[in-house]
Amino acid sequence: MRGFATFHPFVLFLYYAMVLIITMLMLHPVILVLSLFGSLLFFLTIAPLRQFLLDLGFYFLMFLLVAITNPLFVHKGETILFFLNDDPVTLEAIIYGFVIATMLVAVIFWSKSFSEILTTDKFLYVFGKVVPKSALVLSMAFQFIPLFKRQIKKVHEAQKTLGLYTSNSITDRILGGIRVFNSILTWSLESSIHRADAMKARGYGLPKRSNFSLYKFEKRDLGIIGALFVMFFVIIFAYIKQYFAFNYYPAISDFTDTKQYFFYFLFVFMLTILPFMMEMKENLLWTFLKRKISASPIRNKKNVS
Amino acid sequence: MSFSIKQGEFVVIFGESGSGKSTLLRLLKRELTPHGKKEGVIYYKNRRLDELDDDTSAREIGFVMQQPEVQIVTDKVWHELAFGLENLGEPTDVIRRRVGEIANFFGIHHWFHKHTMELSGGQKQLLNLASVLVMQPEVLLLDEPTSQLDPIAAEEFIDILHKLNRDLGLTIVLVEHDLEKVFPIADRVLLLESGNIILEAKPEEIGGKLKRLNDTHNMLQALPTVVRIFNELSDQPISPLTVKEGKRFITEHFNDHIVRLETSETSANDETPILEAKNLWFRYERNRPDILRGVNVSVNKGEIVTILGGNGSGKTTLLKVLSGQRRAYRGNVVLKGKKLTKYKQSALYKQLIALLPQDVQTIFLKSTVEEDYAEIGKVMNGTKEALEQSIHKIANLLSIEHLLEKHPYDLSGGEQQIVALGKLLLLEPEIIFLDEPTKGVDAYSKLKLRDLFMDLKAQGKTMVVVTHDVEFAALISDRCGLFFDGEIVSTGKPKEFFANNNFYTTIANRISRHQYEGCVTAEDVIDICKLNGVKKHEQNIH
Repeated sequence: MRGFATFHPFVLFLYYAMVLIITMLMLHPVILVLSLFGSLLFFLTIAPLRQFLLDLGFYFLMFLLVAITNPLFVHKGETILFFLNDDPVTLEAIIYGFVIATMLVAVIFWSKSFSEILTTDKFLYVFGKVVPKSALVLSMAFQFIPLFKRQIKKVHEAQKTLGLYTSNSITDRILGGIRVFNSILTWSLESSIHRADAMKARGYGLPKRSNFSLYKFEKRDLGIIGALFVMFFVIIFAYIKQYFAFNYYPAISDFTDTKQYFFYFLFVFMLTILPFMMEMKENLLWTFLKRKISASPIRNKKNVS
Repeated sequence: MSFSIKQGEFVVIFGESGSGKSTLLRLLKRELTPHGKKEGVIYYKNRRLDELDDDTSAREIGFVMQQPEVQIVTDKVWHELAFGLENLGEPTDVIRRRVGEIANFFGIHHWFHKHTMELSGGQKQLLNLASVLVMQPEVLLLDEPTSQLDPIAAEEFIDILHKLNRDLGLTIVLVEHDLEKVFPIADRVLLLESGNIILEAKPEEIGGKLKRLNDTHNMLQALPTVVRIFNELSDQPISPLTVKEGKRFITEHFNDHIVRLETSETSANDETPILEAKNLWFRYERNRPDILRGVNVSVNKGEIVTILGGNGSGKTTLLKVLSGQRRAYRGNVVLKGKKLTKYKQSALYKQLIALLPQDVQTIFLKSTVEEDYAEIGKVMNGTKEALEQSIHKIANLLSIEHLLEKHPYDLSGGEQQIVALGKLLLLEPEIIFLDEPTKGVDAYSKLKLRDLFMDLKAQGKTMVVVTHDVEFAALISDRCGLFFDGEIVSTGKPKEFFANNNFYTTIANRISRHQYEGCVTAEDVIDICKLNGVKKHEQNIH
């Protein structure tokens, strides 16, 4: 995760927003296949192979399940293949099922890479920029929740050896649980008082609070944002102009339009393949650099002298 | 009271719990001033503290508290470091530079991106210190910052304070109860007693002056081992402070005719093992490494066995397995001749086994100690009168009657420990397991704990203690064991155990081992020095 993930969180957010909009808005088989292809390729580069294969297997089953459900319930379409319980099963409905399933799996894989790449810090940062107060509140919550969970476990274990749960009656157990919960509330109140002190001591509440983040907005971020917007607008333009129109019912459109507007599909392809290309670029760069480093003339000279 | 602290001074404040140390320290930090009536004025750099502007007050006076966890505000280390500067409204590039600088100074850059939950206690406290220092304070106030840390982390923390004071000239005011490590680096020491400064001196003079003031003062026991030994053996005003100086003192002043103390160790212990562990193997999950790797241990009835070991070595896990909270995947724990797994849980934790966890606050459920004790009645199924009787018996034994009405969280570390132990005793256990019973306990309360342990032992209770605290182990144990690499590698009576160790041993032993054998506590060293007597030429000089 060196290439794409190192872009500014805003860029990443923007990218995922665009890709998801396009994937969910345009029910064109070519676009969906491109989107699925891009999401899979990218997930392959950032996830361990084993996990990728496991996920692929699981979602393939889901894909089939969704694909065959549609023709069972939808009976539109003019090409009837056979009857099931007196209901017609049509070719159009089957194909539409596959298209929907493709979209679903593509969205799922985009979301998977999204959660890998937009870690909580980045997520918080983007949120904090939109609503400044929320950044600190969320950050404190992410700090406190695990602490709270751990304390519950600790009290639970301690009380076990004090015989709190040793009685076999269910009411006793429930009452025991309530008592533990009560004590945890006291504990969290107590620790929040201390935390408030620590915050005050470090100047919390002074009027001119700023928001710090580790992320720098670089030139290349600006560049990629420009490129993203160009691609996005071209695609939206084509969508509005009905270049991506594709009918499933009553009959399936042919691909003459697709050939005619090939140029616009190229943009979709570029957009969906972008993260993968970034990773690849970075990989190539590193192999290249490594060769350069190991064949560094400076070191050779030193060895000679 | 009146006192002044010069720029660049390292001042240590100590005193019994409840003497007003923390209150005094909090008064020096305006944001934390406790509620109540205040008279008198505090000046900072010739300006009244209450007239400072908010920004200066937050920035220039830093404060670090006792509990590492509750001071951490945010979820990421880098964000925590930036938090104070964010509050002051510093721009991003300033924050970036300062955070980078401080992370480097503290060696935090290795865990800069981590979640604050993942850090160890020592790291958390270091982070708290760093996130105060990032604001570039002129004065640093610390309220018992090492009391919740293990000895190694505590030492590291104190070393950093020393470095800050020595290399950067930072003014430091430290409230501390473990004086062993801070005495050699302090410039001045204040002793507080019921809200008054009763003594103010250089650390090397404190021992002598306190003895002259009141030679049965409780706080004499809280002084570093070297000072205590010196106090008993000499009337000179300047005491040694480090092991090095202590060693020299003994070599120069005392004969070595008698090398060994004749001990009248009563081995009247019942030699029948009450608890035996045979070849215990344990791990938490299938894919995780073994924590216990063939532990063998046997504990006799009425014995206090201490298991020492480093941080994260698995001592706590061993206690959990021995007390039946976790089950070993190989090997057995045998309790009174019957396998632990054969006991019903309800029978096990009533009148047989009790475990005092490291975090004693987890023991308490109710809002007063008495109500909390009454909880046990639900387990023991006695009559109300019987319960009340046993509560008062225990309260009497531990002399905690005056605490019964208080909220458990309001007690001091030492009191919490004793009160929690009291709750366990209501279950009338035969074996008590204790996990780090001296954590957060001051020196004087430690002695009370020791007396209590001896009382319990006399009543026939068996105790298994897991601890880092070498000094305490030397005081209480019948036998000590060193837990290392998943097993107990050596056991023995404390005298042999510590005398055989070169590094892992008590300060008293380090001071005296070059001249005497088997002296592990300050009392041992004092006794043997008195027996040997002062060297001849010494007497001529004085």
